[in-house]
Amino acid sequence: MRKTEIPSIEILGHGHLACAGCGAAVAMRLTLKALGEKTVMVFPASCWSIVPGFWPYSSYRITAVHAGFVTGAATASGVRAALDVRGDDETLVAVWAGDGGTFDIGLQALSGAAERNENLLYICNDNEGYMNTGTQRSSATPLLAWTTTTPVMQPKENPKKDIMAIMADHQIPYAATATIAYPEDLIRKLQKAKGIRGTRFIHLFSPCPPGWKMASEMSIKISRLAVRSRIFPLYEIENGRNYTIQEESRIVPVKEYLKLQGRFNHLTEKDIETTQRNVDDTWGRLLRKARC
Amino acid sequence: MSKQFQFKGASEMPMISVSLGDMDWNKTGTWRTQRPFYEDKTPPCSAACPAGNDIVAFIQKIAQEDFEGAWNIIKEENPFPGVCGRVCFHPCESKCNRGSFDEPVVIHALERFVADFASRLNKKTGKAGEKRKEKVAIIGSGPAGMSCAFHLARLHYDVTVFESFSLAGGMLRMGIPSYRLPKNILDRELSNIEALGVEIRTGVSLGEDLRLEDLKDYQAVFISTGAHRSRGLHIPGEKEKGVLSGLDLLKKINLSKRVKLGDKIGVIGGGNTAIDVARSVIRLGKKATILYRRSREEMPAFEDEIVEALEEGVKIRYLVNPIRLGQKDGLKRLECLRMELGEKDESGRRRPVPIPNSNLFIDADHVIIAAGEEIEASFLPEGLEKKEGIVLTQRDGSTGIKGVFAGGDLTSNQRTVAHAIGSGKKAAMAIDAFLKGKDAEGMIIQHLIGEGPSLSIFGYLRPGERLRNPHVVTFEELNMDYFEPAKRQQESKSAVKERIKGFKEVSSTLSEGVALDEAERCFSCGTCNECENCYVFCPDGSILKREELFSHQVDYDYCKGCGICFTECPRGAISLKEEAK
Repeated sequence: MRKTEIPSIEILGHGHLACAGCGAAVAMRLTLKALGEKTVMVFPASCWSIVPGFWPYSSYRITAVHAGFVTGAATASGVRAALDVRGDDETLVAVWAGDGGTFDIGLQALSGAAERNENLLYICNDNEGYMNTGTQRSSATPLLAWTTTTPVMQPKENPKKDIMAIMADHQIPYAATATIAYPEDLIRKLQKAKGIRGTRFIHLFSPCPPGWKMASEMSIKISRLAVRSRIFPLYEIENGRNYTIQEESRIVPVKEYLKLQGRFNHLTEKDIETTQRNVDDTWGRLLRKARC
Repeated sequence: MSKQFQFKGASEMPMISVSLGDMDWNKTGTWRTQRPFYEDKTPPCSAACPAGNDIVAFIQKIAQEDFEGAWNIIKEENPFPGVCGRVCFHPCESKCNRGSFDEPVVIHALERFVADFASRLNKKTGKAGEKRKEKVAIIGSGPAGMSCAFHLARLHYDVTVFESFSLAGGMLRMGIPSYRLPKNILDRELSNIEALGVEIRTGVSLGEDLRLEDLKDYQAVFISTGAHRSRGLHIPGEKEKGVLSGLDLLKKINLSKRVKLGDKIGVIGGGNTAIDVARSVIRLGKKATILYRRSREEMPAFEDEIVEALEEGVKIRYLVNPIRLGQKDGLKRLECLRMELGEKDESGRRRPVPIPNSNLFIDADHVIIAAGEEIEASFLPEGLEKKEGIVLTQRDGSTGIKGVFAGGDLTSNQRTVAHAIGSGKKAAMAIDAFLKGKDAEGMIIQHLIGEGPSLSIFGYLRPGERLRNPHVVTFEELNMDYFEPAKRQQESKSAVKERIKGFKEVSSTLSEGVALDEAERCFSCGTCNECENCYVFCPDGSILKREELFSHQVDYDYCKGCGICFTECPRGAISLKEEAK
C-alpha cells in the first residue's frame, strides 16, 4: 500500500473561491504543504488574486502579498531584501504567478531577478491562458488550442513558449517542471528548491476545467496524461546545465491527452499529427540537452 | 471561529488593505451539484468464492503485515483456510480484476500462507462461550458438515457430529491424497473446530448405528454424507477381480492401508479423482495410463493437476472409451472404441461419438474406475426427495422433513470443497433462523455476496458492520494509473524425481516476503485501503482523515463536488451521485 509522506498541515484554508476541480487549487494546497508556514508568498495578478477570497478575508494561512501584474519577481526581491535587513534568513520568499504573469507580462521582472540571482522561489502556475479574465491566449497556450482570442476559426498558430529554456539560459541554480498528478515529485522538487539559495524556478502545470473545456473530475487524469504523452515532461535543470528527466514508464500518444479537452475538439487528424510531431521534436530537444 | 465583518464606516477599517479573517464562513458545499461518498463495493473474487471468503479484506491485512488479522478475517467465513489454500480450484482467481491488467493475484497461495502462519503461532479458535440449550446433530464430518458445525458452534449451539469412519474429515481425508493435502493440515483445522466445543463421534453410521428417530434430543439435523460411491461404467466385466474403484483405492492409501497393485495400471476417467489415482499409483512405483473419452480440453480435472500428472509420468490417452473388460494372459484386457468429438452437450463440452469398428485393446494389471462419484441413498432417512442423483433441498438447505437440513456433495452436482464449505455455512445460518423462528429464505437473500449464490455469515453475526454495496466492481471501474505491472508470484514445487518418491506435499507455502509482494498486487477492488488519493488530490481540502475509523469522510460543508476523488480512487470505493433538490 502506498502511504504518502505528504505533510498533513493545511495552509490553504477552506472556503476559497477556486472553481470545482481546479488543478491550481490542488497545486496550491500541495505547494503550501511542501513549503510550510514560514513562507511569504507574492501574488501578481492571476486567478490567485481572487481565489483565496476578497478583502477583508483570506484563506491563506501564510503572509500573502498581492502585487501588480508586471511586478511578481520585483516585489519578491524587495520582500527578500526587507527580511534580510531584519536578519530573517529562515522565512522563504516565493512568487506564485500565472503563465500570463510569467511568460508574458512579468517576464522582464523575472528575467531581472534571475539575472541578479535573487534569493527567491518563483512558481509559475501554468494553466495555459488568461483564465481569470475570460480565457484569452497567452504565450503559454499550446499550438492549435482554442481560447476566446484564438477561436476555432483561427486557433493558435504558434507553439508554446519554452519558458524552461529561457530560465535555464539565466543559469539559475534550480529549475524544474512539476504537476499535480505526481504529488510526491512536486513536493520533492519544492522542498529541494527551498533548500537552495538563489533564484529557483518551478514550472507547475495545472489543468483548468472551465478554460480547457474539460470535466472537473479529470484534472488529475489530464495532468498525468500530459506527462505520459510528453507534452509536459517532468525534469529538473541545475545551474542551467545539468538536466534530469523523470521519465514515465507508460507513454501514450498525445491524442489521448487532447481528446479529453474541449479546447482541442476542433483538431483534425492532421492537426493531431502536427501536435504529435511538435511534441516529439520538443522531447528530442530535451533529450539532447539531457545527454550532453 | 470564522466570522464575517460589518464595518459601519471607514474609521472601523484597517489603515491598509490587510485581511482580517479567513474564508471558513464561505460554505462552498452549496455550489455542489454532485455528491461523492465512500461506499465499499463487492470485489469479484469474493462474489466468485463458493465458500464466501472475504478475500480483499484478508489480503489487505496481509499487505499491512497483520497476518493474524488476515487469519481472523478468513475464519469469519471459512474454518478451512489451510485446506482451501491447497486444494480449492480457486474460481476467485479467474474472476480477479488484476487478470485484465497482467495476471490474477495468487489468492489461493495467500490463503495458504495465512493458514500456515497461524499454525506456526499455534493459533486456536477460542471456545464460543455460553451455549444455547438447543442441540444440533450433523451427520458426516466432511467440509460441509464441519463448516456447518463450526458456524453453529459460533452461534452458541451444542453441536455433535456423527462420522461413519474412524477419523473425521470425510472426502478431505479419504479422497484427497496427502501430496496435495497433508493430513496434519487437515487435523489442525478439524481440531480448531473441535476447540470451539464441537463433539465428533466417529464410527457411527447413519442407517446402521444411527437413525433419524434416535436424534429426538436434537432440535435440528444437518445431513452431509457426501458422494462416496464410485459411478460404474455399466460395461461387461467391470465387477470382475482386478477392477477397483478410484475412491476405494484413495481411501486405502489415505488410511495407510497396504495396497497390492500390479505394475501397469489403467485408470478410466478424466476428473480430479482419475488424476489423483494416477498420481498416487505413480507414487507407489507403478505405471499409470489414464483413458479418457474426450480430449484434453474437455477434461474436468484442474489444469494444474493435469500438468503435474504429466510431469510425473502419467500417460493420458484421449478419445478412447472402454466397452468391455476382459482377461488375457493373467492381465486385464480393456476393449475400447476410439471416439471423435461431436456437437456440444448440456455441459457445454463436445460430446464424444464412437468411431465404428475402431476397436482397440489395452492391457493392464489392474483397472481403476474413476468416472465420477454418486451419493449413497440406501441409508438416507425416508422423506428426503431425490432427483437426478442428488437430494433436493430448498434454497436454505431445508428438506421435506421439518428440522432436517442437507448439504454438501449430497445435494449438489458442484462437488468441490469450497461449495461444500459454503453449503455448510448456509445450513448453519438457516438452522439458526429456523430455531429462532425467523425467515431463513429472506435472511439468506439479505446476506448474499454480490448477487450470490455465495453467502457471508459476517453480516449475519455482526449486523451493520463492514457494509458494502452488492455491486460487483468491474475492471473498467478501477483506475489503472496507480498500478504498475508486477509478476504473479507462484508457489515453488519440488522436483519431479523427489515428488514421485512418496506422498510428501508437492508445493510449498509462500515465504513472507513473497506473500507481501503478492498482497501488494491486489487492487483491493471496491474496498478503501487508505491509499489517500482522495485526500491528496482534493482541491478543497474537504477529505477529513478519521484516525479512529478505517475510512475517510467527505466534509460536505466545503466539498464542491468536482468528482476528482471519485475519478482518482484506484479501486472504485467512492461513488458519485447527483445532489438531491
